[in-house]
Amino acid sequence: MDFDYSVDQAAILAAVESLLERHAGPARAIALGERDAYDSELDTALQDAGFTEVARGEDTGPLEAALIVEAVARAGGVCAFAASALVASAVSESPIEGPVALAASDTGGPVRYATSARSLLVLDRPAGEARLVPLEPGDCPPVRSSFGYPMGRPSPEILARGESLGPGSAERLERWWRLAVAVEAVGTMAACLDITVAYLSQRRQFGRTIGSFQAVQHRLADCAIQIEASRWLVREAAFQAAPQEATATAAAYALAAAADVFSETHQLSGAIGFTREHDLHVFSMRLQALRLELGGHRRALAAARWGTA
Amino acid sequence: MANVDVSRGETPLAEDLLEFDWSSEDARHRDEVRVFLDEILPDDWEEIAKHGPGSDGQAAFSKTFCAAMAERGWLTQHWPAEYGGRDASPWRHSIVGEEMWAIGEPRGSQYMNVNWIGPAIMRFGTEPQKALHLPRISAGDVLWCQGFSEPEAGSDLAALRTLALRDGDDYVINGSKIWTSYVENAEFIFLLVRTDPDSSRQRGVSVLLCPVDTPGVEVREIPSVVGARYFHEVFFSEARVPVAGRLGGEGEGWDVVHYALQYERVGAARYARAARTLDRLAEIARVRGRLEDRLIVERLAEARAVCEAARVLTYKVIDVRAKGGAPTADTQIARVAGTRADARVADLALEILGAEALEYGSYADANFRLAMTAGVAVGATEVQLNLIASRFLGLPRE
Repeated sequence: MDFDYSVDQAAILAAVESLLERHAGPARAIALGERDAYDSELDTALQDAGFTEVARGEDTGPLEAALIVEAVARAGGVCAFAASALVASAVSESPIEGPVALAASDTGGPVRYATSARSLLVLDRPAGEARLVPLEPGDCPPVRSSFGYPMGRPSPEILARGESLGPGSAERLERWWRLAVAVEAVGTMAACLDITVAYLSQRRQFGRTIGSFQAVQHRLADCAIQIEASRWLVREAAFQAAPQEATATAAAYALAAAADVFSETHQLSGAIGFTREHDLHVFSMRLQALRLELGGHRRALAAARWGTA
Repeated sequence: MANVDVSRGETPLAEDLLEFDWSSEDARHRDEVRVFLDEILPDDWEEIAKHGPGSDGQAAFSKTFCAAMAERGWLTQHWPAEYGGRDASPWRHSIVGEEMWAIGEPRGSQYMNVNWIGPAIMRFGTEPQKALHLPRISAGDVLWCQGFSEPEAGSDLAALRTLALRDGDDYVINGSKIWTSYVENAEFIFLLVRTDPDSSRQRGVSVLLCPVDTPGVEVREIPSVVGARYFHEVFFSEARVPVAGRLGGEGEGWDVVHYALQYERVGAARYARAARTLDRLAEIARVRGRLEDRLIVERLAEARAVCEAARVLTYKVIDVRAKGGAPTADTQIARVAGTRADARVADLALEILGAEALEYGSYADANFRLAMTAGVAVGATEVQLNLIASRFLGLPRE
């Protein structure tokens, strides 16, 4: 057991942070959001730096990939990095052309990044397989969404298409997708809390800093506990290469925390928190999208732990 | 990773890596402890454990049990060899702690001895104090209790008033302590007193290692819904303790307590017990056909995630300790998480067992009563949240 970064891990993270400083951040996410655009530049930068391949590196693995995904989410990156770096690498031996979008055939609804994706990984639970569907521009029409990501809607025909990734692929895709959603939730929640703490540390009302009220402090402290727990559960699951139970545990916890962090950070930020001029929405609205993606974490946990249906 | 400029400093040590595996030795130790527990615990252990670590039955059993632990060198293995330990890592001790607490803590109140009373004596004790207390603690044949809270000093411990005034080679103690557990079977009380009558708050307080049978010490039970003989009030009237029984410098008691509490806050592996209870609840639910109920399944899973959260947060604290780092607010974070895990599972136990829980001593009832104090013991949750807000989040004070 060791909860500190190694020298190499710290170096990777420093490199990621420096890249994200140049290519990501809430201001950029807001600008891109106005046109529902995908951040190809960030995507390319991450790929050129080799970060997309970290999960299958010689000296690196899923844990390092998860650390990078967390950082990208915390910086509000508008690109499908998690799907490429954590999911695609786990379900296919050969590289899958990015951007990669993830969809479940049995749930329906808009899919993150589908409009810009070149590949769609389809989880077909009834058939017990995962399929890889190459996409052409225009295949998935854009869907307007309040929830912070560019979204597209793949048609039922597209969801039925594609080549099976073989036996066991559905289970594998589901596990790694679950992990990816949880990792993104951690980075996104951390940004929500950072922004809220910073704002409440300077905002004054009733002659004092709002962040000095105990009623406010306790609620932020509760968010911090939930985010810390999510972070370490998720990292542990990534370290263990996304086993069923640990992954479902991390996701069940993190996505439940996401609901609390959303409502607490918004409530405590007041009206400014709802505006486009304040950064909170960039991250907070995404939390709801992450909660609605894939889902079934608690049932997966119970199934892994107690063999429930 | 060829394109990333990873400048390598010195070659990282193997344990330098962010990682979540147990070493094979540690994993083996957990197995050994489990086998040992299987062998040594009597058939009616559950019946004994149900009454809590303060009960006579558990107090008596703890002496045999801890002696057997000591014989194997496991009771205080995380202590330095010179004090009867084996220099084992805090991880090793935490594995023992998880296994013990999960099964109902057969060490009884002695978990406090090995977790923090012994370490505090090592850190602050005189040679005679170490010689008197440490061998007995590491042999597992002495019971202690703690005397911190007072009627007017609960969460606000620094408001304590119990006075211990110097009279020749003695301190003469007057005052009272409250909410004391385990005192009826204890030989010593780890007692926080005010030695400077003109002082206030954290200054002017000292720790005394006071024999419970000192004349002038009177113990009275406070009846409670938690269970029989759970809380006590301890009265001191003209009770004399030799100055040689003071732990640490006069007026430096706050440092001693601060040091000790860092150990105590995550000393009891509440999450381990909660997780074990939860597995059992799932089994009970299965037998009763309630695992068909999706709502029950979701609640079980939710509770499991909360237990796991507490576990991983506690590990983070142990990691800091294992590396010799100064305690951080991670301790408070883990403490609150552990409390929540306990409460969540206790609540679910009532729901799953239903009306049967209404009978005193039933599984859900015993579990519920043991869990219900967690948010108040060792500093109320609200005090922990205050510390998280200021130390972890850096939020301004008034």
